[in-house]
Amino acid sequence: MKKTHITLVVLIAVVVAVMIGAINDSSSYANFEQAFSNPGEEFHVVGKLAKDQEMVYDPLTNPDLFTFHMTDNLGEEHKVILHKSKPQDFERSEQIVLIGSAENGEFHANEILMKCPSKYTDGEVKTKEQASF
Amino acid sequence: MEYIGEHLLAGIIGNFFVSIAIAFGLLSTVAYFLAEVKKDEAWRKLGRIGFWGHSAGVLGIVITLFMMIFNQYFEYHYVWQHSSSDMPLRYIFSCFWEGQEGSFILWMFWHVVLGNILIFVAKYWENAVMTVFASVQVILASMLLGIYIFEYKLGSNPFTVLLRDHPDFADLPIFTIADYTANLDGRGLNPLLQNYWMTIHPPTLFLGFASTLVPFAYAIAALWKREYISWVKPALPWTFFGIGILGVGILMGGAWAYEALSFGGFWAWDPVENASLVPWLTMVSAGHLMLIQRKKGTSVLSLFIFTALTFCLILYSTFLTRSGVLGDSSVHAFTDLGMSGQLLFYLVFYVILSIFLIAKHARHFPNANKEESIWSREFWMFIGALFLFISSFQIIFSTSFPVINKVFGTNFAQSAERIEYYNKWQMPLAIIIALIVAIGQFLKYKDTKPSELLKNLSISLVLSLIITVATAVVMNIINPFVIALLFTSALAITANLDYWIRILSGKLRLAGPSIAHVGFGMILLGALISTSQSDVISQNTSLYDVSILGEDFNNNENILLMKDDTLMMGDYFVSYRGKRKDGIFIHYTVDYMQSNSEGKLETIFSLYPFVQLNPRMGNVAEPYTKHYLDQDVYTHITYAELEERSNEAKTEEHSVQLGDTIFAKNSFLVLDSLNRQPNKERVGLTESDLVLGAKFTVYDVETQARLIEPMFVIRDRSFSFSVPDSIPDLGIKLSFNGIDPETASFKFELEEKAPKQNEFIVMKAIVFPGINVLWIGIIVMGLGTFLAVFNRARRKN
Repeated sequence: MKKTHITLVVLIAVVVAVMIGAINDSSSYANFEQAFSNPGEEFHVVGKLAKDQEMVYDPLTNPDLFTFHMTDNLGEEHKVILHKSKPQDFERSEQIVLIGSAENGEFHANEILMKCPSKYTDGEVKTKEQASF
Repeated sequence: MEYIGEHLLAGIIGNFFVSIAIAFGLLSTVAYFLAEVKKDEAWRKLGRIGFWGHSAGVLGIVITLFMMIFNQYFEYHYVWQHSSSDMPLRYIFSCFWEGQEGSFILWMFWHVVLGNILIFVAKYWENAVMTVFASVQVILASMLLGIYIFEYKLGSNPFTVLLRDHPDFADLPIFTIADYTANLDGRGLNPLLQNYWMTIHPPTLFLGFASTLVPFAYAIAALWKREYISWVKPALPWTFFGIGILGVGILMGGAWAYEALSFGGFWAWDPVENASLVPWLTMVSAGHLMLIQRKKGTSVLSLFIFTALTFCLILYSTFLTRSGVLGDSSVHAFTDLGMSGQLLFYLVFYVILSIFLIAKHARHFPNANKEESIWSREFWMFIGALFLFISSFQIIFSTSFPVINKVFGTNFAQSAERIEYYNKWQMPLAIIIALIVAIGQFLKYKDTKPSELLKNLSISLVLSLIITVATAVVMNIINPFVIALLFTSALAITANLDYWIRILSGKLRLAGPSIAHVGFGMILLGALISTSQSDVISQNTSLYDVSILGEDFNNNENILLMKDDTLMMGDYFVSYRGKRKDGIFIHYTVDYMQSNSEGKLETIFSLYPFVQLNPRMGNVAEPYTKHYLDQDVYTHITYAELEERSNEAKTEEHSVQLGDTIFAKNSFLVLDSLNRQPNKERVGLTESDLVLGAKFTVYDVETQARLIEPMFVIRDRSFSFSVPDSIPDLGIKLSFNGIDPETASFKFELEEKAPKQNEFIVMKAIVFPGINVLWIGIIVMGLGTFLAVFNRARRKN
């Protein structure tokens, strides 16, 4: 076998290994039901902030703890414990993606992604008078 | 309705230039194509005229859009969307390329610049190369059309008028006024982009993108002309020019992220960052394969593949960031403008064209009969190119999860530990690549004696070993991967320096590659140390124990600072001193202190992290960093009260008799006696006023009893009022409102403010050691690359 062939075979093997590794390390999107039936496993859960429920952020006791309730896309609501400070403009979020796992009936999130109202579609027009600060 | 004050002419001119750009681009493509096929000088002239006409069109678009933003024609959607009247003029360029349309224009502009240079330097290759160039320009210009063809919208036009071309807006009340333009204001630039890096990063990056078209155009021209070798020589300096510019452009984005974003670091493996890094990696591979080809005549097939791959990856990254497919997986992808189909079509078109042409011609490629020696430079350059490919494949595969999910219906998502995940794969690859960079230049083409190589490397080996051990001991590094990369990147720096000084005798003319490799080594070293040894010094020092929630959830990286309290944080004592509002910015002053020789705390430096208020797009916290030569102290606000605390007073009415007590929150007030002759002048009353004073003794927990005396006043026998008395530090104010004759009691009103609670901020602070090595490395690599390009371009023959 020529060196070129060996190189090619090794290269393909490495590429396959990279793909398998990437998939093994990946997480997956889920709803609350799936997340709570596999406690401890990491999931991405997409949903909306349950605005009628209580939000607690008390930086005086722990700046790295924020609790709120989220309703997933199937309408299931759970208490969420975010182990980070409360994100800026949290109340304005339109959609939330939580990355974390279920534990003891609560969803513990390490990471949160928020989608704020689209910058391009809302039909509000500012006039110059309002613009002055 | 007749509207007045609209500047409709600007849009007409803009669209006219779009038509010019497309029409002349098409003319140029066709003329150059025929010139190549027919070998006819007349067609070539027409091709040039076409491209110059196209260039005029693109310049016209640039100037028109720029003038529209400059003159604040908010009736235009693009201007309205990306700027506002209160925006400082220095961000006008950022507004220009904030939107997709503007960034396409910027990209086209660079293609025009490069294309015009090629017209003069490409000579023999001009017809074929410019055919490819002009065709790509037509495609890019079509992104600005915004016209419907059989219900399918082609492109997105930057010259649309809010009122006329956007039906969603037409019903708004402001448009019922004839001169609505007098009141209309824009929505403004995204606060994150209001940063000077955003003036310089996008044009550099897009010049890098644009420069990948040159080698691609040469490669396609070579296949077309069946001249598989001779294209490499003219394409080579362009490729390295692209490597230099794109590399600097990407890392400028890192500098912006480090300075303006609050994720803490210069690189977060964000999909948008990855999408521009990957073509850079493959372009580095392509450039080095070109070097092999020039020296040895081999690697023709892989050279074509990597050159085409680089350009296709640029198109792919355009698709990723602009089609909306990344959706919620990236913080700074564009939103979909309905162009995803169009973008995908172009991507697939060029991928298929490349595969088809390469496959068709591959059997004609000259083949090297001889196997390369293991101890040759070309062998290791090739291996290096393959490792760069693996590195880029790993990044792009993981970044493409959203695309893979769309195509195969899978459900993959990037893990929350994204940075750790990428580092885990990229670290070993970086170790090997750095090693190859280190030994590469000491290897000779064809063959090298291993003993000679070892001898040549011995100085650098010893030096980097010392650097590695010293750094590892000082910084207390135990991770074997970190130590290995520390060693190989130090070796890449020392070996290339050594090669320049000893083998090239320090000649600047030949130094380009060595200097560029030193810079590359420094980038790796700086990135390694600043990220692996970064230290979050803002630990949670509150009493609350978060570890009961489980080890994994101990996200212990924010600190709460009460105003004027001093807390220990890393090597410093920190104190929050207060906030200052300056326009739309709220600056928070944080003092960093250390004890001096007398054991007293002394302020070493103050940081002013700030929050930019933006009611429409959300408030943005931006970091503030203290730069030292050897490390940075980075601080940003994670949570803070933005407004002054609303301290609304509560009032309560009391009806009491002599000797009774009124209870307040932190004190109680006893009505001791009434005073019929109070001191009228003291409170500004006149002799004729009838005044009754009520003497109270106020007791609180901490201080002694104090006296207050609110007064009830009847003036001119017709109306009454109270002269209240207060104790500010208790937040109480008492008014005497009258006498109730029936119950013989006195009416008082107690106004009480909440006791003043201290202001606080929650912040995060990170120490980044050695990050300056990274920034200097970027400059060194850029300079080295351009030196190499300059010298190679000068060698004309």
